[in-house]
Amino acid sequence: MTLLDRRLITHFDWALAGFAMALFALGVVNLYSASGFRMEEGLSLSSFYRKQLYWGMIGLGGMIAFLVFDYRHLRMLAWPLFVATVLALVATLLWGKTIMGARRWLDLGLFNFQSSEFAKISLLILAAKLLSRDQGKLGWNQLLILGGIGLVPALLVLKQPDLGSAVTLLLILGGMALFRGIRGSVLKVAALLVPAALPLGWHVLHDYQRQRILGFLDPGNDPLGAGYHIIQSQIAVGSGQLWGRGFLEGTQSQLRFLPEKHTDFALAVFGEEWGFIGCLVLLILISLFLLSIIRTAAEAKDGFGCYLAVGIFFYFFWQILINMGMVLGLMPVVGIPLPLISYGGTSTMTSFCLIGLVLNISMRRFFFKK
Amino acid sequence: MHLNRDAEQQQSPKNGLLLLQLLVLGIFVVFTLRFWYLQLHRGQEFADRAENNRIRQQQVYAPRGLIRDRNGVLLAVNEPAYALAIVREDSRDIPAALRRISDWLDMNHDLLQETFEKGRPRIRRFEPQILVHSLTFAQLATIEANTMTWPELKILTKPRRFYPQGPLLAHVIGYVAEANEQEMNADPNLTLGDSVGKKGIEFTMESSMRGRKGARQVDVDAAGRQLGTTMLVPPEAGGDVRLSIDLELQEFVDQALGEHVGSVIVMEADTGQVLALVSKPAFDNNMFVSGLSHADWALLRDNPAHPLQNRAIQSAYPPGSVFKLVIAGAALTHRIAATTDRVFCSGGLRLGNRLFRCWERRGHGWMDMNQGLVQSCDVYFYTLGDKLGVDRMHPHAVESGFGVRTGIDLPHESMGLVPSRDWKRRRFNEPWHGGENLNMSIGQGYMLTTPLQVARYTAALINGGKLLKPQLLADAPPDILGELPLQAGHREFLVQTMVNTVEGSRGTARRIAKPGVRLGAKTGTAQVVRLMSEFERAKLTDIPYHFRDHAWMNSFGQRDGRSYVIVAMVEHGGGGGSTAGPIIKSIYDYLFPDPPAPPETDEALDPA
Repeated sequence: MTLLDRRLITHFDWALAGFAMALFALGVVNLYSASGFRMEEGLSLSSFYRKQLYWGMIGLGGMIAFLVFDYRHLRMLAWPLFVATVLALVATLLWGKTIMGARRWLDLGLFNFQSSEFAKISLLILAAKLLSRDQGKLGWNQLLILGGIGLVPALLVLKQPDLGSAVTLLLILGGMALFRGIRGSVLKVAALLVPAALPLGWHVLHDYQRQRILGFLDPGNDPLGAGYHIIQSQIAVGSGQLWGRGFLEGTQSQLRFLPEKHTDFALAVFGEEWGFIGCLVLLILISLFLLSIIRTAAEAKDGFGCYLAVGIFFYFFWQILINMGMVLGLMPVVGIPLPLISYGGTSTMTSFCLIGLVLNISMRRFFFKK
Repeated sequence: MHLNRDAEQQQSPKNGLLLLQLLVLGIFVVFTLRFWYLQLHRGQEFADRAENNRIRQQQVYAPRGLIRDRNGVLLAVNEPAYALAIVREDSRDIPAALRRISDWLDMNHDLLQETFEKGRPRIRRFEPQILVHSLTFAQLATIEANTMTWPELKILTKPRRFYPQGPLLAHVIGYVAEANEQEMNADPNLTLGDSVGKKGIEFTMESSMRGRKGARQVDVDAAGRQLGTTMLVPPEAGGDVRLSIDLELQEFVDQALGEHVGSVIVMEADTGQVLALVSKPAFDNNMFVSGLSHADWALLRDNPAHPLQNRAIQSAYPPGSVFKLVIAGAALTHRIAATTDRVFCSGGLRLGNRLFRCWERRGHGWMDMNQGLVQSCDVYFYTLGDKLGVDRMHPHAVESGFGVRTGIDLPHESMGLVPSRDWKRRRFNEPWHGGENLNMSIGQGYMLTTPLQVARYTAALINGGKLLKPQLLADAPPDILGELPLQAGHREFLVQTMVNTVEGSRGTARRIAKPGVRLGAKTGTAQVVRLMSEFERAKLTDIPYHFRDHAWMNSFGQRDGRSYVIVAMVEHGGGGGSTAGPIIKSIYDYLFPDPPAPPETDEALDPA
């Protein structure tokens, strides 16, 4: 049980760590470029890539912190963590700092913590605990319990308002449930319920969020924002062509029009500068990274570890899918970053901590094989 | 540590693992195809679009709501104006461009540089940053001729505020000027170069007058030259405002006050509508609109006459004898004295070892309350103040609207001051002395009131006791904020003494009498300094200006169902009757025109 156990070292998943590091490195290089380090940059982004490097160092610390202990201790902590999360979300709504009109941040002195990220971690731990208690396909009762624990944080996050995080929370949960399998009868009813619930969901959304969805459906019709971004980011990516414009050259073109080019639209910068070849390399890296997490899930020695890895897989998968889909004009504009690539303290921290947890599970996969 | 609770060797669902792998394969395939479509299939087209035809968004300024007087005369308008802006992204050499601009427009280069550097962090590289707010036509022509060779220079049309009457209404209307750092941080809708209301009605009504900026799409080529524009969102004009002010009356009052330093308020007693509000000296609010140079600003700020101060609402003075009405009311309400109780005035009152003098050294003799008010006898009120004490005078004064803001729609209104035991303890850490009751009873000592508070109190006396919010908006309904703490009979008695002050042969305001109009008034003197003995008997003109007392007069005039309140305060004007009286009289002559009255022969000087 100690760190000095040799098997822990021998079973360390170097491939997964390597893919993650490679993705992060690409992100920093890309940020450096998006920062357009020309002297007379009004809103200088030049500090961002450096800050992101610091976040990476802190993230590495978080990663190590998440792999030294035995992950099975988290089962005991699942409920307390979840309750703490809900409290933190409420606290954020009450006393959070308002940035750009949204209350998403708790100022903890050290840095502003986005409580919704914390919610993603604790929710997937709790879901892994609940799902690993029994086997077989999920029935109504289990689904209702899962839905309940998902909706509480999701609605709180939606109030911030952070549609992206709320959607991610529910998708992670849904993905884990699908992995376990759902009874056919339940699925049939769900297939009927979901379209019925859509108008209700439409009602919950903020005006600007509706605008974005409409703007996505008809980009030409939303001049003031969403549609415009979708068009601009496609032009940026498209103009990269086969080889891209080259490192640092992309800042000359469409990217000025992307207000979030260092965060949510990082991929647009990448696509413009590295072209189809670069994007293909990025996609291959991402796929290998995701496959490594799946392997960990397959080899995990207990249900809890397996579901934990699956939850983490979905954390990355959905955000990658939604962010790339948005940048490439396949989805509406939702404020979801590209994990490991986009700039952002909390997102980087969370990603590294969760990667640490996957490494944790894979390191301890031989513990019961005496 | 045993963690074997879950050693069930659970097999992970096979289907689930397959599902995950399919998902990864799915995004790989879908996004590869999408990249291929965007970058290879349509890549050339996108690259051309990126290169040759760029799209920019620009804001379109919304015209600010207009301001009119109650009769519809325009008091604040928007003129077309042209601003010079620079787009950093289109510039190959910004320093050179700045040098060119300072040559063409004959501007100080360092100042221009400073403007540019200061604004730069707030404006994105492809957005126009305003450098010069209003170009003359000659300047405009010069710039226009050079925009082909200097594509970074843009001419923006930005409406500019203009106040046709300038200083006449500067204190009421205030002005707009460029939003500063704090304002931009507080309001996300404000961007660099926007104008916002800073003072007066422009400040108070900012949200309704501002309107909403629009946006247009500007297509530019690789060099930044405009190819065409499309309006995306039309701007929404701000809402107009109709003031309660009557411009012609305002002009008349302004001339009546002439070169005096002070203020005059004309108000409708029943509605609180402010028909004229003049404060002198004034300033030209047009100076602020295009930005004030540091030198001009310093001149205005450091001018000893404080032209920026709205004396009607921001200056608080000792009310002097005007306050005796309030004290008489308090004495009646608290049954300290009846109207018929008499006091003998021998020219002073001894309290302890101090002698409190009456302004009439020879003494007034026996006085009842009516005579005490009409002749403004200090000794009469010393007696009341001594009996009432601060603990009864303070609440009565506050309920009468003193020491609290009137709520007029103008920023920075002064509260004035009604002293109390608590206040003195907090302020000086000293107890209240008996002698201070006497000072307070004749409106001296610590008492401070604004002319507007006095106007509101006077209006309440004749409108049935309603303390109204003084309204500057013509369409606002009367807003009752409180009631005078007086029985109707007592209130009517006070009103009658004001009439007697005008109509009585010994009244301090007899000079404003006007046949056919029911006029009432009270004069007052706000002591500037305790006059040194050598000035005590001197004529006004022999006393240095800054030692002269301020002159008050509050009054009302009623005829044909119309009732007005006029309050005048003339700084260093000496006695209330002699300086403020003629001003007020001429305004009533204007309001109630009739055959000219016989010329004034009365040259006597009445300190209050």
